[in-house]
Amino acid sequence: MIELSHVSKHFGEDTAVDDISLHVAKGKFCALVGSSGCGKSTMLRMINRLIEHSSGDIVIDGQAIEHYDLVKLRRRIGYAIQSTGLFPHWTVARNIGLVPRLLKWSSADVKARVEELMCLLGLPMDEFAHKYPHQLSGGQAQRVGVARALAADPDILLMDEPFGALDPITREKLQDELAKLQAQLHKTVVFVTHDMDEALKLADHLVVMREGRVVQQGTPLALLQNPVDPFVESLLGGLERGLKQAALTRVKDHMSSLGQSLPAQSRIPGDFSLRQALSMMLRDHCDRLTVVDQQDMPIGELSLRKVVKEAQLDKVSHREA
Amino acid sequence: MSLIDAFSSPNRQYGHINAVLICLSVGMLSAAWLLGVVSVAPNRIVAGTSYGLVTAIGWPGALLVSLLFVAVGGLAIKPSRLHYCAQLCIVTLTLLLMPFGLMVAGHWLIDPTLPQARLGIGAGYWVALFLLLLCLVELRLRLELSRLWTTLLLSSVGAAWLVCAALWLDNLALVQEFQARDKQFYRAMLQHVVLVSIAVSVSVVVGLILAMLMRRYQRLQRVAFALLNFLQTIPSLALFGLLLAPLAWLAANVPFLAQLGVSGIGTTPALIALIAYSLLPMVRNTYIALDEVDSNTLEAAKAMGMRPRQRFWQVRFPLALPILLEGVRITAVQAIGLTAVAALIGAGGLGTFIFQGLGQAAMDMVLLGALPILVLALIVDAGLGALADALRPGGHE
Amino acid sequence: MKRDGDRENLLMTAGPRWLWPVGWALMLLVGVWAMPVLEPGFRWLEPDARQVIYSRADFVSLLARHVFVVGIAAVVTISVGVLAGIAVTRQWGRDFLPLIGQLASLGQTFPPVAVLALAVPVLGFGTLPIIVALMLYGLLPVVRNTLAGLHDVDASLKQAALAMGMTSWQVLTRVELPLATPVILAGIRTSVTINIATAALGATVGASNLGDPIIAGIVNGNMAYVLQGALLIAFLALTVDSLFNALQQQLQIRLSAP
Repeated sequence: MIELSHVSKHFGEDTAVDDISLHVAKGKFCALVGSSGCGKSTMLRMINRLIEHSSGDIVIDGQAIEHYDLVKLRRRIGYAIQSTGLFPHWTVARNIGLVPRLLKWSSADVKARVEELMCLLGLPMDEFAHKYPHQLSGGQAQRVGVARALAADPDILLMDEPFGALDPITREKLQDELAKLQAQLHKTVVFVTHDMDEALKLADHLVVMREGRVVQQGTPLALLQNPVDPFVESLLGGLERGLKQAALTRVKDHMSSLGQSLPAQSRIPGDFSLRQALSMMLRDHCDRLTVVDQQDMPIGELSLRKVVKEAQLDKVSHREA
Repeated sequence: MSLIDAFSSPNRQYGHINAVLICLSVGMLSAAWLLGVVSVAPNRIVAGTSYGLVTAIGWPGALLVSLLFVAVGGLAIKPSRLHYCAQLCIVTLTLLLMPFGLMVAGHWLIDPTLPQARLGIGAGYWVALFLLLLCLVELRLRLELSRLWTTLLLSSVGAAWLVCAALWLDNLALVQEFQARDKQFYRAMLQHVVLVSIAVSVSVVVGLILAMLMRRYQRLQRVAFALLNFLQTIPSLALFGLLLAPLAWLAANVPFLAQLGVSGIGTTPALIALIAYSLLPMVRNTYIALDEVDSNTLEAAKAMGMRPRQRFWQVRFPLALPILLEGVRITAVQAIGLTAVAALIGAGGLGTFIFQGLGQAAMDMVLLGALPILVLALIVDAGLGALADALRPGGHE
Repeated sequence: MKRDGDRENLLMTAGPRWLWPVGWALMLLVGVWAMPVLEPGFRWLEPDARQVIYSRADFVSLLARHVFVVGIAAVVTISVGVLAGIAVTRQWGRDFLPLIGQLASLGQTFPPVAVLALAVPVLGFGTLPIIVALMLYGLLPVVRNTLAGLHDVDASLKQAALAMGMTSWQVLTRVELPLATPVILAGIRTSVTINIATAALGATVGASNLGDPIIAGIVNGNMAYVLQGALLIAFLALTVDSLFNALQQQLQIRLSAP
């Protein structure tokens, strides 16, 4: 668990981070979003004390970070960055095994752990273990970077635009994998990005920053439904916001029970998003879809009216709350 | 990455005429035919009479040499890998045959009744030799020969030359100079190597310490670089000279130092000046090497929880090592040249022959000093270059 | 890739940049003309010597000869070196690029003394061998930096220039050379500064210049002579070095101006 209260950072005259409070619950994925220079990276780096904060408190698991031993603190926090920061003079295996070795694990344990992680991140051991970082593609290097961050099984993972330098296809693939990994490992993650789609896709908790301050924070859905100002709205994509919101809602949660009328021709699995349902309606020129389960058995139906109305209802209920 | 690698295109096409080798071949032909290839002198002081190619090795020899040179150029009109290999063989063969040319010339031109008479190597011979070596460099680049192969090739040619010189080239002036003072030569060689080694190792250690201090105290950096830069502007000759006085004074007035062997003339001032000169390239490269390590890598090391000492010795230092070794290479090569100048203040070494030779107008003695210095510099350069490459992890960069 | 550019700004950063060369030049001229005035100082250094001011030739002519030798070598070196660098980077000269590049970096290995010593047997004693040796030795940094400077010019800039309809001659003179000038200038600076010091060695092969007092001093054990030669050469070197430094700074200001 990470708790920031009234944290500020000044560099001389400049204020990089201004009175920020933030709570990241255990096992949650928190994304910091904002344009470059908004202080999001600075905030991340204050958590593992690469930068010392000027005022306020940063508490990890009930203890203020300045009361931890600096080196021990860093060894229990995983860290992955955009440029990977892999050691160019070490092999992939040695890079991944760095923190366990710093923690004086036995060499057999280190080896086993490296093997486990490379398998987890889809890097075949015999192909990659002895390669040097410069022999890897961008995506591969980034996987190694994530593996290194996870090596000593830290509870907390800090990631600073880890996929920022990758091409769109590789980036999307790694995002999917990270989401799957997180579902499996339940780390407490703080993730910095300037890509709102990436944040919406991965985060449980979204923090929008501008000029060192938090503009708005909450669940992705809450932000999409109710952006506090034009800045957040434009960041969320302006007109596209509706579709993004639909992308976060599952068909299953909005279908109605099967009616008396004939079932619709087009079928959609219940795990798909409303956005995909909309797309399917546009493609098939229909306003009704049959919702099916994993065995392709009809479990309900979804109409265009329903999709549009549900979104509206959500908004109303949110306002009331 | 060296300059040449940066320029050379990866897909070097064959089939298109290679102007370089043709120019070199024309150059070699004109050098052999237009300049004197050997000279004969009745003794070591008198300047020799110069002889052309035909007089030196006769028509058959002259034709053979010309044929070899023409072949090198001819094969370059339509280059292919096969042609380049053939040219490499021809160039190597020519290099191996060259001492035999001297042998033949010596046999024909030197009157055996004159024991003092000697055979000098003429301008044509030197130019042809130089151009042949350029051919070798060019062929090496075209064929992308590895360092190992080039070294093997050159050392076998060198060995063949040495064997010829030792066994059959008694009347060659250079060999006579050597035979007259072989013990002296070996001692000078040893002195030279020892002086250079001491100067380089001291400056490596001092340079590393100084560079590390400079990283910590920025003010020291400005002062030290200003001082070292100033030192480099003073001509080596002058610095050697200037150290004579204070050291002579110290030796005269501090008996303890005199007992240690400190004196105005000889090894001490030479070493001090050598170290002073070696410090600038060493410190500069060490400083840059340590400073230019990628900050992302270092920050990652920090974030992983490495302690400062671990960060230095496991990350910063190994990553700086190739550039640092480049500094050692520059320093060592520079020190080899400067040690030659140190002979002027009685430090010994191969420079002794150069300056004695110049003083006596005995050119072959000058060569006896200058050629080994050149070879030494090239060997050290290649050796340290290879070491730096080997230490670059996984062929990095 | 190491280049000789990193010396700049380390030695002299403060002060108006043209003041340094003028100052050093003044010191040099004062040294040349007023050396005898300093006799008491040198007398203190060498109380026993019969003579403490070098007098076999006057300092003005020694300086003139020194500058002449270095100047001739520099003119030849710069014109040949820069032209060669340009030639081998053109399309028609590319064949020679690998060899010349290799030669330029290999040549740094040759010690100046050895080059000088090798020039004497071919050219005899006197001023000629020293000029030739300085030319050969000084050529390499110039070629090397010309190649590096031209290589560093962004390929997309050259493409853009060609796309605008510039001829290849215009690309060379209006884009490549102006952008490469700082690096080329750094090479020339290295070449000339080294040559000023190396020229002193010419005194050992019979070329009379500012190295003379040093050699005479070493041979006779007269420190005053050595000091006089060393001081004047150092002043000359500093004058030229600071002049280049000022030039480079001037250039930098122009290139970085908005």
